[in-house]
Amino acid sequence: MLSDFPYPIPEHGSEPYWAACNDRRLVMQRCDACRKFRWQPTPLCTFCADENFTWATLSGRGKISTWTVVTHPVHPAAIDRVPYVVVEVELDEQTGLRMLSNLVDVNPAAIKADARVAVTFTEHQSGQMLPVFRLTDV
Amino acid sequence: MDSISDQACIVGIGHTEYSKDSGRSELKLACEAIGAAIEDAGLSPADIDGITKYTMDNNDAVDISRSLGIPHLRFFSEVAYGGGGGPLGTILLAAMAVVTGQANAVVAFRAMNERSGRGTSRFGQASTAAGAAGTASYAAPYGLFSPAQMVALAAQRHMHLYGTESKHFAEIALACRHHANLNPDATMYGRPMTLEDHQNSRMISTPLRLLDCCLETDGGAAVIVTKADRAQDLRQPPVYIASGGLGGGPWNHRFMVRDIESPATEATIIAERLFPDAGITHADIDVLFIYDHFTPLVLMALEEFGFCKRGEGKDFVGGGRLRWPDGELPLNTSGGNLSEGYIHGMQNTIEAVRQLRGTARCQVADTKHAFVSAGNAVPTSAMILRGAR
Repeated sequence: MLSDFPYPIPEHGSEPYWAACNDRRLVMQRCDACRKFRWQPTPLCTFCADENFTWATLSGRGKISTWTVVTHPVHPAAIDRVPYVVVEVELDEQTGLRMLSNLVDVNPAAIKADARVAVTFTEHQSGQMLPVFRLTDV
Repeated sequence: MDSISDQACIVGIGHTEYSKDSGRSELKLACEAIGAAIEDAGLSPADIDGITKYTMDNNDAVDISRSLGIPHLRFFSEVAYGGGGGPLGTILLAAMAVVTGQANAVVAFRAMNERSGRGTSRFGQASTAAGAAGTASYAAPYGLFSPAQMVALAAQRHMHLYGTESKHFAEIALACRHHANLNPDATMYGRPMTLEDHQNSRMISTPLRLLDCCLETDGGAAVIVTKADRAQDLRQPPVYIASGGLGGGPWNHRFMVRDIESPATEATIIAERLFPDAGITHADIDVLFIYDHFTPLVLMALEEFGFCKRGEGKDFVGGGRLRWPDGELPLNTSGGNLSEGYIHGMQNTIEAVRQLRGTARCQVADTKHAFVSAGNAVPTSAMILRGAR
């Protein structure tokens, strides 16, 4: 019986992302040419196709663009976790810069679009730290 | 040649029964459906020289040709994202093959034991691998696995932006169920649904309820395509491919969440050429076959293929518009993926052909044009079919 969801397998191109999570930092590639951030990691800038980038640390602050409260478990580890919240967060650094995560420590009925959130980190059973989000007051 | 408009026809259709456990192999299902389509066309296996399939289909073209006695294969190909994006894509490949002379008669098919899991894993279930790679590595660790969960995120965004409600999604499920109850071959025949049934159905992943989700089915479905001039003397009245297209647009995070605000989506990209190529407008469409994997995506497809404006889907689907016989634009008249059977959309195309032949159970009067789409939220395909009458 699997007691946790699958762990992320770092790959060529995504190792720095997951390594930074283990230092409790949310990083993304920032294009050296057009200065835009992107998520998930890609070999070329998805805006201007430049291949040069720098791993930049983000504030981890943003707002909820959408979410779902999962109530029907489709994975063995979900059985004891439902209901849980999958969230898409738009980060403050850039309009349209959205990432997937969980919203934790929340009453599902209290979730609203555009609510403010901040990143925190939770440890997967594998030892890998995962960026997740909490509601904030401002 | 600017487009293939009216140069190829669907001349045969065939399918197996739709069940929860077929009790036979996926190869057997494919051969039964294809055999029925060949028979319907009045052809023999020796007349078939091409096979197009969904990339997700486990059947091998050579296994099928050997089993059915197809002596010469001159064309075989697969359409990507099929999957839900496949049904019209496979037919478009077939049409292109016959119009360009690469083949004479091509079969497009889908066969799977998706519900029983005999050969195909159920799509709604998560892999139990300990680790996730690629795009899934940014979703699976958070418990985001199933198409329903991913669609739920897009549906919630649509509700936020446009004020769409669950009862609007229900209209699509209700229309399909209404038609299934007039179709004895449908899985949900004899099981009517009310709005209350929909609203009381189990929540899967908010805002998606059980009755917003399509069936899971074992079965097979196939169509035969040939060139228009060859189609004239066959057993059935030909159904012309007035236009067809594939389209892919930008998404957030590949397929995990649709970017529903994107000006260009898979549907808008296809629609741009589909209607001009067919030489008609939306007002000329008599019957709709929108791929119905999840009700919110049908509502979004109606908007993005241009049957109404973005955000107006909630009003468009109301008032019984989608229901035969009184609605002005009946949807999925044999019950669709939601209530007839889930053969990855191929069964919707079969019903569109029946409508244009004039042999459907819920026959729309004087049908000339059917709009048929494959599954959105992945790169997809669509066609306008034109009747000979």
